[in-house]
Amino acid sequence: MEKTNKSLKKTLIAFIIFLIVVGIWKPLALVYGIQRGGLYSLIGLPLALILGIVGILNLAHGDFLTLGLYIGYIFFNSWSIDPLISMAPLFFILFGLGMVIYSILIRRVLKAGHLNQLLLTFGISMIIIELIKIIWTTRPRSVYTSYASSSVTLGNMSIGMYEFIYPAMAIAVLVILQLFLKKTRLGQAASAVGQNPKGAEIVGINTNVVYLVVFSIAFGIIGVAASVMLPRTPVFPLSGNPYTLKSFALVAMAGLGNLNGILIGGITLGVAEAIVQSIPGYEGWSDVVFFGILIAVILLNAYRRPES
Amino acid sequence: MKKTIFPIITILAIVLLIFLPYFIGAYLLHVLMTIFIYMTLALSWDMMLRTGQLSFGVAGFFGVGAYASIITCSRFGFNPLVSILFAGFFVALIALGLGFAVLKLRDIYFSITTLAITMVFSVIIRNIPKLTGGASGKVIPNVIFNGDSAKTYWLILSLALITILISEMFNRTKIHFAINSIRNDEIIARSSGINIFGYLLFVFIISSALQGIAGAIYTQQYGFVSPETTFSLDFLLLPMAMALVGGIYSTWGSVIGALVLGFASEYLKLIMPYGHLIIYGIMIVLIILFLPKGIYGTTKDKIITHKIEKKSLSE
Repeated sequence: MEKTNKSLKKTLIAFIIFLIVVGIWKPLALVYGIQRGGLYSLIGLPLALILGIVGILNLAHGDFLTLGLYIGYIFFNSWSIDPLISMAPLFFILFGLGMVIYSILIRRVLKAGHLNQLLLTFGISMIIIELIKIIWTTRPRSVYTSYASSSVTLGNMSIGMYEFIYPAMAIAVLVILQLFLKKTRLGQAASAVGQNPKGAEIVGINTNVVYLVVFSIAFGIIGVAASVMLPRTPVFPLSGNPYTLKSFALVAMAGLGNLNGILIGGITLGVAEAIVQSIPGYEGWSDVVFFGILIAVILLNAYRRPES
Repeated sequence: MKKTIFPIITILAIVLLIFLPYFIGAYLLHVLMTIFIYMTLALSWDMMLRTGQLSFGVAGFFGVGAYASIITCSRFGFNPLVSILFAGFFVALIALGLGFAVLKLRDIYFSITTLAITMVFSVIIRNIPKLTGGASGKVIPNVIFNGDSAKTYWLILSLALITILISEMFNRTKIHFAINSIRNDEIIARSSGINIFGYLLFVFIISSALQGIAGAIYTQQYGFVSPETTFSLDFLLLPMAMALVGGIYSTWGSVIGALVLGFASEYLKLIMPYGHLIIYGIMIVLIILFLPKGIYGTTKDKIITHKIEKKSLSE
């Protein structure tokens, strides 16, 4: 326990030094990075939750985000409900969707091995993308709200204010999640199942209920993320898709079951991406940051551990 | 008796396929070419899966092969056929290098890393516009054989037949035992003295090279590459669905799956211009849930149990 605390402290110190150095070197990149990193963490949290407790890598993660964006768009377009207000209905709609998806599909492959789980969620991802294309075609849509484009001028740089909601929401969701996992009985059961599913079952925890609840909550968070990013994101069939891999990159960096690490990792990657983008002529390479770090972390972990 | 019939049927089928361009129309020929390309991808994906490694890198190697062929063809004046072979070697070389890093990984980590590598390929290609044409892609002035569809068909057919041959060799020679034991239980495989890494690398290189060649031929057929279309995840999803529908871990499964889904999606394309690919997603989900062995695997099992029942009855 003490050891993990020490290593956590070390990471935190390194993280803060990193932020300060970037802040002096490229202040604009720091601001953009924190904003974007907040969004990455917010979207990465549900994936980490499902992977850490249910043990399933949901490859349709980003596509459910897209679905959330479209539902938020309908709320805005048909009943002119502001995206930030439709956050509540979106949470419950995706919560319900998570329940349905878990009960009908995921529950059947829990014991089927990783290959089948990956393929199943991959298939789901494809169904959602194609379904969206059938219903809404590929035409991009967007939502306009007056507050989303507000900005503030500091010295010689102008900073978008709305995007600060991303890290704020990420921290809020993280705190609520941690409270849920540590303080409520169901949450404690969920952490136990995440650590050792067989042991949890032996002491009388109904793993099926835990999985169902965790899955639904994770989906609810996806709904919240969708409504938060809607004012600043174009909506098209693939708008959420890249976030699946990016979220997994965060989880791979933070390690399974480390929800706080998602926030640190998300902001680190967001800042790194913003730095690459701020170098003229190299804007296009910023995606390599994520995938490069993802590959590097996975390989490092594989080689550090002696072959088991 | 059965042993003499089977080769005859195979030879007849091959002869029929070779002379097909003289009988059928241009449209059907085109559909068949696409199906054979996807069949090659499905089989090569399945070859890797037989070792227990789920690769999401098909689209990546397909795309790299396509670019290698187009670039050597337009910049260095390679003959299209030579450039296709070069693409195969180039992709094999990349697979060799990547294999040393990636093949130590297992389970979801292997799958995710191959998917990430696909993304890295497409980002790299997008960002060296001098060589690759960047985001807008590259066009070559002449498609292969100047658009003679019969010759292109024969080229694609031979690739598909070679892939089937390699896949059958994997399933019938001694390699088959090594591959199966790695998939079933690595610890037992290692303690039986199987060089796990060696076999994995061998299969990885062969299957990647086939995917690269498929990509090269596909783009030579259309004379056009762009990051969006060449690295499209369709080249991963469709073959996966085909292999799953037909039945994984077997040659004929992928072949049957490619034919069934290929014709089905071609038909759907006519009635549903947007989102006809949904059939692939639905097929993947249904097969995983209800028919994990696919069409070929299930019917084969049924026939075998039927035979055993008959035998036990007659005894």
